[in-house]
Amino acid sequence: MELSAFIAVLTGGLVLGVLYSLMAFGLALVWTTLGIFNFAHGAFIVLGAYIAWQIGNPDAFGLGFLVSAVVTVIAMFVIGVIFQFLLVKPFERKPNIVLLTVITTLAGATVLINLINVMWGPRSKQIVLPASGDLSLGLFRITANEGLMVLIVTLTLATLGWFLLKTPLGRSMRAVAQNREAAQLMGLNVPLLYAATFGLAAALAGLAGVFIGSIRFMTPNMGDDPLQKALVVVILGGVARFTSPIYAAFLVGIIEAFSTYAVGLYWTPAVLFVLMIAVLVVKPEGLFGRRERSV
Amino acid sequence: MTALLEVIGLSGGYEPVQIFKDVNLTVGAGECVGFFGPNGHGKTTLMKTLSGIIDPWAGRIVFEEQDLAAPGERKARRSRNLNYDILVRRRMDPKKVARAGLIHVAQGSTLFPDMTVAEILSIAPGVALAAGRKPEPDAVFSLFPRLKERLQSKSRFLSGGERQMLSMACGLLAVPKLMILDEPTLGLSPKLRQELADAVHAIRRAGTPIILIDQDIEFLRGLVDHLNVFDHGSISRRLTNAQIPDHETLMAELFGRRQG
Ligand SMILES: Nc1ncnc2c1ncn2[C@@H]1O[C@H](COP(=O)(O)OP(=O)(O)O)[C@@H](O)[C@H]1O
Ligand SMILES: [Mg+2]
Repeated sequence: MELSAFIAVLTGGLVLGVLYSLMAFGLALVWTTLGIFNFAHGAFIVLGAYIAWQIGNPDAFGLGFLVSAVVTVIAMFVIGVIFQFLLVKPFERKPNIVLLTVITTLAGATVLINLINVMWGPRSKQIVLPASGDLSLGLFRITANEGLMVLIVTLTLATLGWFLLKTPLGRSMRAVAQNREAAQLMGLNVPLLYAATFGLAAALAGLAGVFIGSIRFMTPNMGDDPLQKALVVVILGGVARFTSPIYAAFLVGIIEAFSTYAVGLYWTPAVLFVLMIAVLVVKPEGLFGRRERSV
Repeated sequence: MTALLEVIGLSGGYEPVQIFKDVNLTVGAGECVGFFGPNGHGKTTLMKTLSGIIDPWAGRIVFEEQDLAAPGERKARRSRNLNYDILVRRRMDPKKVARAGLIHVAQGSTLFPDMTVAEILSIAPGVALAAGRKPEPDAVFSLFPRLKERLQSKSRFLSGGERQMLSMACGLLAVPKLMILDEPTLGLSPKLRQELADAVHAIRRAGTPIILIDQDIEFLRGLVDHLNVFDHGSISRRLTNAQIPDHETLMAELFGRRQG
């Protein structure tokens, strides 16, 4: 493998890693905080993409990329809160909440996907990103749109990190995630924090959808692949810290890029799943996780 | 003068297992009330019910003349087949309890393992501020100077004693009108026990009413106005401070009762 090819593949992997960290972050956030796995995360990504398309694309409302991204994030937050209220919250006190919410979130995902089918139809669409041309730094070369995505995602995750580490609300969200009972005794508003966490996760999924809808052609069923990738990332990384899925996302992105180069697109999911199973066997709490907290 | 806390006919447990039954309890203004009893007989469960972590099955909890538990019995098993809770009202709201000033320092709490002491202490006063009470961080630090040295440590790296201090510090920052201390000296070395016992004495001297659960009769004797002997899920005896027997006598009585 030549150096230039190596750099190109590595760059591709890093860009994928950026996208995957955005996709996985929300999933991990819900997993640690509410203790459930949200199978509608993929559907949230699709819905985000379609909302953004509707608002931003010249064929639809045509308000441009920036407006569409902002509206999508806000709309998905609200949709996430409603989704949690209807399909997760009612089972909070059941001992088998994990299993129940597997079923309800899968059901919710199906409903969302069918609604998207009804509203926008099955024909493929694509979101147009505003930038054009290439950016290069030495041998690293990405398109300007990829650069835009890297910039926005980095800013988003950095802001989120600051929010979780420094603000009272963010700290309260981490507190609830780490010990619900102690948080209740502290008088924190646990139902509100759960709703906010779910909404935030949906908003991040929506933002991921905006970028996926610009990279690939959008169809109502395109959510399965991102959900799988996010699942692999979360299991690989573990959820002990909210940074673990970010490391894992880059790992998965780079492995995917090199495996696509080496064994082809067709076998890449198999490579990732074999890796995931190996991690589950050897270190079930995740590569960057700790043993105590596994759901 | 009305009571600070009045518990009337309280029953509860972990569905479907009932742990305690028909508990009546009064804590007067400025009082310190002790609980003593064998392990696993439901003291912690009773306190969790008072603070709203688990819903009571029946009974009332009145704090400063405010009903903390929504009235009525536990929902009959009529809804057994309906697995959807959206319309079922919780009987208790822990946030409301903490806002009202009934602050529960849990037994052996691990708090928030991945947050630093400073972060935890920064969110602890939130409930007091929301309720219009004024926290005094300086007083808390002078009570637990050790916490000041560990501000940047994550709480999972704290020793058992330090964690207990942090728990109590959080409780104090919530500015309790009544503080529940559930076995604050459990599992600590004699030196640390003494340190924490001194802290409890200091809190008491500052005039904060306390419900204190402990296994050490002498410690309780030095603090409480009344002692409730709690076994088999109910208060079997109420003793004034002067009536508290020594440890051996009390254990013999409890042990005797159980065999008889
Ligand atoms: N989360 C729980 N679920 C079910 N049973 C529990 C739970 N926690 C405690 N118990 C049971 O409740 C009983 C009372 O425990 P506890 O209230 O901790 O007693 P104490 O504080 O007096 O030692 C024990 O038999 C214990 O096994
Ligand atoms: Mg106990």
